[in-house]
Order: sequence, then C-alpha cells, then structure tokens
Amino acid sequence: MGLILGLFATVVGARWLDRHKVIEIHARMPENGGWTPADLSVKVGQPLRLRLVSDDVTHGFAVGQTAWEALDLYPGKPVETTLIFDRPGKYVFYCTRWCGINHWRMRGVIEVYGDASTMQNSDTTTPESPLYRRLAIDLDAPHDAFVIPESQPIARKNIALNVRLPAKYLLRDYYLATAPSSAWQSLREEPSLASLSDQQIWHLVASLWRRQTSQNELKEGEKLYRTNCAACHGETGAGDGVMARWLAASAATEAPDAEHSQPSNQHTPGETVIIGHSTVVPTDFTNPHTMLGASPALLQGKIIRGGMGTGMPYWGPIFTEEQTWALVAYLWTFQFDYSQVETNE
Amino acid sequence: MYSTQIPVKIVRSWPWIAIIASILVIAFTPLPLKASQPVARTVRVEARSFEFSPSVIHVEQGQQVTIELIATDVVHGIYVDGYGHEIIANPGQTATLTFIADKSGSFRLRCSVTCGALHPFMIGKLNVGVNLLFYRAIGLSVLAGLAGFMLFRPRNEQ
Repeated sequence: MGLILGLFATVVGARWLDRHKVIEIHARMPENGGWTPADLSVKVGQPLRLRLVSDDVTHGFAVGQTAWEALDLYPGKPVETTLIFDRPGKYVFYCTRWCGINHWRMRGVIEVYGDASTMQNSDTTTPESPLYRRLAIDLDAPHDAFVIPESQPIARKNIALNVRLPAKYLLRDYYLATAPSSAWQSLREEPSLASLSDQQIWHLVASLWRRQTSQNELKEGEKLYRTNCAACHGETGAGDGVMARWLAASAATEAPDAEHSQPSNQHTPGETVIIGHSTVVPTDFTNPHTMLGASPALLQGKIIRGGMGTGMPYWGPIFTEEQTWALVAYLWTFQFDYSQVETNE
Repeated sequence: MYSTQIPVKIVRSWPWIAIIASILVIAFTPLPLKASQPVARTVRVEARSFEFSPSVIHVEQGQQVTIELIATDVVHGIYVDGYGHEIIANPGQTATLTFIADKSGSFRLRCSVTCGALHPFMIGKLNVGVNLLFYRAIGLSVLAGLAGFMLFRPRNEQ
C-alpha cells in the first residue's frame, strides 16, 4: 500500500516539478558566451518559466515574431518570466540592448513542439516566402540609381502640382516592387506630365512614396531603427554609427593594400575583437545614388536575409512582416522630406 | 636714539599690517564678481568601457549645461554627484541631459549602469566655476611663506 502511494506521489511530484521548474538563463556578452543555455524546448501550451540573469552588462530579452514586451536585464537584478506558446515552431530569442559589436549574434532558439493536429494547423498557415524571392530580386547585385534629384524631393510639394496620375502608380504592389529612380523614369515618360520639371517629378515620387505609409508606421519604423539599426547605420542614417568604427577598422585591415595603414578606431592595441569575416562599412541611407535605385522589396529582403559577408545581421526571425515594412518606410525619410504632409488617414 | 626708535617700529611693522590685510582679502573676498550672463554650453561625452571622454568638464557657475552622452559599446549612464541628475544612453541612441550648474565646486561623474568588471572605476569630473578654495589656499600659502621669511630673516641692523 505504502509502495503504491509512494509511487503515486513520485509520479505526481515529478509532473508537478516538470511543470513548475524554472530554467535559469545566463546572459553574457557574445564574446563570452552569449546566452547559456541557448537551446530550449517546450510543449505547446505548457508554461516555460525562465529566470534571466545578466552576468556582465545590460542586456535585454525578447522573443522574435511575438508581441511580448522586451525585458531589460541588469546585472545583479534577475528577472523571472513565464512564456506560453500557442503555436509550435522555432522561435528565436535575442538580446535587445546593445552589448558590443557582436550584440546581434546574441540569439538563442526555443523549439516549441506540439501534437500532430496543431502541427497540421500551422503548416496550412505557413507564411509565404518573402517578396524579394517572389520577385526574384538579387539582393547582392548593385542597385545604383541612373538618375538622382538635384535636391531633396519634398512630398508636400505635390499638393500644389495637382496632377492626375494613372491608377497603377498608386498601387501598393507598384510601390513595393519599384525603385524611386525607375518610378521617376516612368513618370517622366507620361505624356500628361510633360509640363513638369525634372525636380517636380521627384516631388511627385516622394509624395507617391509617402502615400504608402502612415504617421504611425513611420513612428514604429523610427523606433525600430533607433533601437536596432542606429548603432551601426547612424542616428542620421549616414552610416556613421558608433559601431561603424569597428566595422570600418576590420574592413581596412582586410584590404590587401591597407596592411600598414593605421586603423581609425579607438580601441587599445592588444584588445582582440571578433567581428567576423570581411565586414564592410555600414550603408549610408542618405546617399541617393544607392537608395533611389533600391525598391522597397529589395530593402526588405536585405533586412530579412542580412548582408552576406558584410556584417549586416539577418532580422528575418526577429521582425514581423509589418515591422520590416515599417522600417523600410522609415528608411525613405533619409531621402524624402515627409514633413508637414497633410494626411487623411 | 629714542627720537628715532618710534618711527623705526612703525616702519618695521607695516609689512605685517600689509600681510594681515592681504590674508583677510584673500580669504574672504567674494570672488568672482558676477560676470555677464553665461551662454549655454553643450558638451559631447563619449562613453566606452571604462572611461568617459572627455572625463573632466569645466563649466561656469549659473551656466545652462547640456551633456550629450554617446555610448560606443554597451549601455552606459552618467550620474552627477551633488546634483543628482542621471541619464542612460544605449549605443545608437544619444541621450541628453540639460541642467543649470547653479552649485559651484567639483562634482564626481559616475557611470550609472553596470558596464563590466571595471565599472566602479568609470568616473569623470564636473568642475563648476573657478576653484576659489584652491586659489585662496595658494595665496595664503605664499603669504605664510613670506611671513615666515620676515620672522626668521637674519637681522643685520641693530
């Protein structure tokens, strides 16, 4: 009798412990190990209890593709959280506070497994492949604009122009797949717009681009840009962020003719930094030559896939599709003046 | 001889009167006399593990000071001792702190976010106004030296 009771208590106790066990995850700078452990698995619907401890500097914790708020992890202040996944799949959890040049490498995986019926369910709702793939855009091909404006195009100037446009220019699909310089050329060839100057056509392009976004989306894009992109691409978009000096230094040391040149960074000699192979200087979003030759689908593709061998992280498992489009919309503000646009949203 | 003794005493003691007067002046003069309205000042401070650059900031008393904090590697912060102001900067997000430097003196700047092993040593200094105490101390020391010389100088006459 006692044996049966004891067995019963053990089984119940083990199940209770399993459901209530807390997994302690340590966060360290990526050079010192990143997340430990970095692989977790949990069943659909079962609570995943985590205790997050930072061992060195300020880190953050968030799970990609979800709406959960990011948690800040300060050294000496462990944070506990409970996650419940309602859909199976591979989720990426990542650091949200810049903790060095390799900050973006600080990622881990949570594998959520479920029974066959939910699996089946998720298979039917698999998101389609990203737009750049459907459009067969080569993300690594140069995309120089063949024409650039004399001065920054202003979206609000279009109100005064008062022109009638063929409907195709207003379509979302047209915007997504077209580079501004191509749009400029198509508009230039429209007979109804022959009276406009080249710069006025550019204002028109800017206002078409502005039509495809909203004040809220731009705000969301700015927030994402500031927290995730500005450290390298710069707060003004000029590619001169605080991390760029490390990337520039590594690019300089790897160029064959620059072996003896002094790296322009500030870190002390003897300090070794692992950045990866052949990084390049971050893209300057204020440069019209490259930006106006890129379509929104191309920019989104670069964000999702990352730059092959450039040091640009891949954000596909982190950002939702809406977030990537918000970012792309915000990137155009480095080219187009969207101020004082009257919106009827 | 008596007729000349009194004038000599007066002549001998006037340097002492001068020294005592100088001591009073140096120790208690309310300096500096308020200059014209100081202009606002913006200081760009770059923070990296484990130093601020520049680490010493000089401002005038009463000046409106804006500190732009740029974190170049991990999250850093600045806490201004004495004033109690704090800002935290993420890399890529410049943080600014604006305040009126109404208290004069020398104040410690500390990193307010744990940023690694040497974090406690990540410090800087904010100097507000002229360091009056320092200059007064120098003046008084010079005077003390002078007085000592006068007391113990070799007396040749008489």
